[in-house]
Amino acid sequence: MIGLHSTATRTRRRITMSAGAVIVGGHLLLALAASVLPLQSVVAQDSNAILQGASGAHWLGTDSLGRDVLSRTLHGGQPSIGVALVAVLLAAALGFGLGTFAALVGGWLDDAIMRVVDVLLAMPSLLVLMLVASFIGREPVVLVATLALMYAPPIARVVRGASGNVLTRDFILAARLRGASRRAIVVGEVLPNIAEVFITEVAMQFTWILLAFSSLSFLGLGTSPPTAEWGLMISDARGFITVSPLPLLAPVAMLASLVLGVNALVDRRAQAALS
Amino acid sequence: MTAYLLRRLAISLGVLAVMSVLVFLGVEALPGDACTALLGRSATATKLAQCRAANGLNASVSHRLIDWASGLLRGDLGFSIKRDKSVVDIVMPRLRNSLALATVSSLMAFPLAIVVGVWSARRKRTRVARVVDTVSLVLMTLPEFVTASVLWLLFSVWLPLLPGVTMVSSNASLLDILPNIWLPAITLALVVFAHVMRSMRASFLVTEERPFVEAARARGIAERIVVRRHILPAALPSPINVIAVTAAWLLTGTFVVEVVFNFPGLGRIAVDAISDRDTALILALTLFGLVVFIASSFVSDAVTRALDPRVRAQVAS
Repeated sequence: MIGLHSTATRTRRRITMSAGAVIVGGHLLLALAASVLPLQSVVAQDSNAILQGASGAHWLGTDSLGRDVLSRTLHGGQPSIGVALVAVLLAAALGFGLGTFAALVGGWLDDAIMRVVDVLLAMPSLLVLMLVASFIGREPVVLVATLALMYAPPIARVVRGASGNVLTRDFILAARLRGASRRAIVVGEVLPNIAEVFITEVAMQFTWILLAFSSLSFLGLGTSPPTAEWGLMISDARGFITVSPLPLLAPVAMLASLVLGVNALVDRRAQAALS
Repeated sequence: MTAYLLRRLAISLGVLAVMSVLVFLGVEALPGDACTALLGRSATATKLAQCRAANGLNASVSHRLIDWASGLLRGDLGFSIKRDKSVVDIVMPRLRNSLALATVSSLMAFPLAIVVGVWSARRKRTRVARVVDTVSLVLMTLPEFVTASVLWLLFSVWLPLLPGVTMVSSNASLLDILPNIWLPAITLALVVFAHVMRSMRASFLVTEERPFVEAARARGIAERIVVRRHILPAALPSPINVIAVTAAWLLTGTFVVEVVFNFPGLGRIAVDAISDRDTALILALTLFGLVVFIASSFVSDAVTRALDPRVRAQVAS
């Protein structure tokens, strides 16, 4: 079935992926540019201008403390995207290492690693995150480390499955016979063959980490005020939506578009192969 | 089948016993205890010592583990020093509210998800099916507080049809809580619907490709009967597994939605308990989550087996 797509399907897929690329690229650019753009202060409060609608002075109005919503929304991506990027890269490295190692060694060690991975997968990640944030601390280092540990297992599992299939192929045998080292086999033979699945999985985990972190902030256990972060902003704005919906809608739109953008960017076919 | 169920039940209880000890030790291993959490910044060495002595925290871990476990068997979940209430009194009304919330969202989501899943699988190349597919993907990937905020804005603020934030206490009668259930229930139902619908659809499409379906069609059996008698029984186990997992999530994973709507259920009290480090309460809630998780996998296994025509044939003969 795979590969036998009509031209129309292929065109549609290409359009979706380009739209995703534009959205994700735009988000990354905005998050970086937020520090350079001539925006108003993220934290400066103006008690004379609380919960105002859009105006020339505040393009997206002000929040309940009279802070500029546009500036906070553009800056609000930095903590979540930053934490999620670092955490997903760590998780990807850990997951790739564990997955290929398990596939290469095989035997009881392989089984043992995958059982541990299964146990970690069964843990409710938001609950673990809340416990860590409350009892150990909510410093970015702690949260990034926890997120990386919680989200490496699914990646390890996908990598283990995919590289297991590759390792039985003839070209691996050929590489072994010509005396290639384990590292050369993993980097030169396995990685190119599982790259598509691996990258797709990592991108999907990026969105889950982003959502977990902003949910944590939303629940008041992630980013501390007055830092601008989308989850925290949504939480703050909830009580005042009857007065002004903008402080709520702006971060909602940003978070939603980023998550949907990543989903559109990631190839649907590879996504289907994973599930 | 009965022998299988009994064996499976015994294994589940064993897993539960082992896991609850691990959970107890895990909570024990967290830095700080109930007294440091209660006293907070005002904790001095003498005050801490008094509080610990008064609440029996000086006993050894094994001693307290036995105390806790024997209390559990008597239906005593412990005492929350922080809230100065027995854990059962805190948890019970909220458990009732959470059960009501989970029931309402289940009724909204599960039957519809199965029907729509089959429907969209049978019309997989039409535009409507593609739209349903995309919308469900969007529902699945958006965080709940985003869906919840948008629904709230739409149906409570702009169109004042439903109450947004719950203002009733956790002990209020179900009739008073019911109006407040709709928005959180719809939010949860949307997420759950998307997961089950997509699983039903995918499973139907895979089953449809299998030889026995082709054989049934080749024999000239009416399509309606092929779908009902041949494809569905073989395709249902995987969405049923998803239903079991999501039903467990409806009871234990609804932290965010409950906080958004201030709904007085287990999810919100869990967030509160974790935020103020109420270890007795955390312990009870984690244990509850464990019970739900193990029970849901037990039920899902049993239903899957009961649906399997090969197993049923054995029972009949």
